[in-house]
Amino acid sequence: MMEPMNIVRVLKHISGSSGCKMLKRNDVIMTGIVLLIALVSLGFFFLNKKEGSAVVITVNGKIYQQIELEQNNTIKIEQENGDYNEVVIQDGYVWMTDADCPDKLCVKHNKIHYNHETIVCLPHKVVVEIIGGEENTVDIIAK
Amino acid sequence: MKKVVTIFTVLAMIINITACGPKTEQRFESSFLELFDTVTTIVGYAPDEKTFTDYSQLIYNRLEEYHQLYDIYNDYDGVNNIKTINDNAGIKPVKVNQKIIDLLEFSIQMDQMTNDNVNVAFGAVLSIWHDYRTKGIDDPISAKLPSMNELQGMVKHTDISKVKIDKEASTVYLEDPLMRLDVGAIAKGYATEMTAKYIEEQGFTNGMISVGGNVRTIGTKFDEAGTKPWSVGIQNPDQESAQTTVHILQLEDMSLVTSGVYERYYTVDGKRYHHIIDPETLMPSELFQSVSIVCKDSGMADALSTSIFNMTLEEGKNLIESLEDTEAFWILNDGTYEYSSGFEAYIRK
Amino acid sequence: MKTKKITIFGVLIALAFILSYLESLIPIPVPVPGIKLGLANLVVITGLYVMGEKEAFVLSLIRILLVSFTFGSPSTLLFSFAGGILSCFCMILMKQIGKFSLTGVSIAGGVAHNIGQVFIAILVVNNILMIYYLPFLLISGLITGLVIGMVGALIVGSVKKYHLVSGNNN
Repeated sequence: MMEPMNIVRVLKHISGSSGCKMLKRNDVIMTGIVLLIALVSLGFFFLNKKEGSAVVITVNGKIYQQIELEQNNTIKIEQENGDYNEVVIQDGYVWMTDADCPDKLCVKHNKIHYNHETIVCLPHKVVVEIIGGEENTVDIIAK
Repeated sequence: MKKVVTIFTVLAMIINITACGPKTEQRFESSFLELFDTVTTIVGYAPDEKTFTDYSQLIYNRLEEYHQLYDIYNDYDGVNNIKTINDNAGIKPVKVNQKIIDLLEFSIQMDQMTNDNVNVAFGAVLSIWHDYRTKGIDDPISAKLPSMNELQGMVKHTDISKVKIDKEASTVYLEDPLMRLDVGAIAKGYATEMTAKYIEEQGFTNGMISVGGNVRTIGTKFDEAGTKPWSVGIQNPDQESAQTTVHILQLEDMSLVTSGVYERYYTVDGKRYHHIIDPETLMPSELFQSVSIVCKDSGMADALSTSIFNMTLEEGKNLIESLEDTEAFWILNDGTYEYSSGFEAYIRK
Repeated sequence: MKTKKITIFGVLIALAFILSYLESLIPIPVPVPGIKLGLANLVVITGLYVMGEKEAFVLSLIRILLVSFTFGSPSTLLFSFAGGILSCFCMILMKQIGKFSLTGVSIAGGVAHNIGQVFIAILVVNNILMIYYLPFLLISGLITGLVIGMVGALIVGSVKKYHLVSGNNN
């Protein structure tokens, strides 16, 4: 049904003979705009990149625990339904050492250290997040 | 309303990496969810994990006892608690544990001190609000306010002098059959204080107990850098804000309790109605966003935070200034801060 | 004609299956399971240019449902759905505007795919901080969109050239 394909011919067909180029000017403009947005926000995040001072662990959007980064710590997060995650804080870096979630993506995630960095365990709705600034280092919050 | 007992305990352990230097104790944390309908967190320093776990267990057991005794909604097998007293109002005196009598006497003392602004015999009115709030939270669309008639009808059943305590016989009797005790404004703080004193006697001298944000510090922190005070944040009433705390206090052997409009509330026609009811207007007090009290005794801090919440700023300031080693911090509705004379000394620079 | 259309549909869905499997093997540095490169967009864009807008939409819907139930979990479905449908609408719109080439349309689709997924991630974990992954995902969307667009242009070109679909010899 189809002749043996000749890539060169096909390429020629697309870019040349039909008169339409692979990329139009508008494509390049659009790509440029998206790239610019991405780079500007990356730059913005980078400029705001500060050493974190504490870790907040939230489970399903609710604060579970807040711990200072300067203190080495192992936190076991055990939920009522049996979901289990283990977070380690050492020398200012935070990572997930163990979890019984199916994908283990949270365990594979890099260590986090800077303000606003997060590790998420989606199946368990656990978010480990670095917060910064001296103002946040508290032992407990009265409410 | 059976409480699901959830073991939701976190043991957080600090690994000391300092190879040399003076031997320090390690920092541990544990928390559990099943008491007083809130999160209890214990932080403390101990030589090893087992010692800390043992202290935690003692604290848990003691708090659990208070939790059952001071419960106004649930019955427990073989325990006469505040609910038992309420259930027997106008019927007969109830023989109770000394811890209930102590709480009620302390509450009456607090009520006198605060010019009847934290009346534990106010339960008949509070239970109306509680019912409307619970229904309103469960079913926000048909949330309603209690009618003034309904509330005023119950005011005559709140005379604290009709709470008859017989210390000899260890009984409590409510003379008025419609009277109800509600110790919600004071029991958590009182139980925290009593438990903190107890555990300190057992040798737990560098720690902190927080029962749902009623914070009681015991001694200081204790680490490589030597001793330093506990850093206790005051919740920002604006919970949308990225800043969780408005001030951080440095406390040593002190309590901090905050009462705020954000704690428990329900919404009727787009307006929030929180849980601190002014005994004069019978409506949620609308003077402040939150009031924080620092003093030694956590029970007093709890009682004061509620009663000061119901007073004008001037009345509140007068009361606080008349008390020794007691400071207060108000966040007004427009977001401005007001302090008692010595409060700012506690703020971490 | 009708048989031919069904056949093409079948072939495209089979292709989508393979691509979805392939992309599950490629890890991307975002800790949110469910977020995917969006390789299956190749099939949707092919469908869009070879068959039409309605067909592309149906194709994308069937792909999402079948692939999620075969390879994924409920959360995969949510992510595929948000990413896939947003991307599909975006590509249809871009094509209708008519000022972009197939590759341009594909790039827009790739970017839209990742925007959709980040928003679902924000909703699912209930944490706005997921927005920090958006710049990376925008760039990754650009790259996948570009690659898919170029490959797609080849496929669509040859399909048209060799009259695999239209069936009329002009």
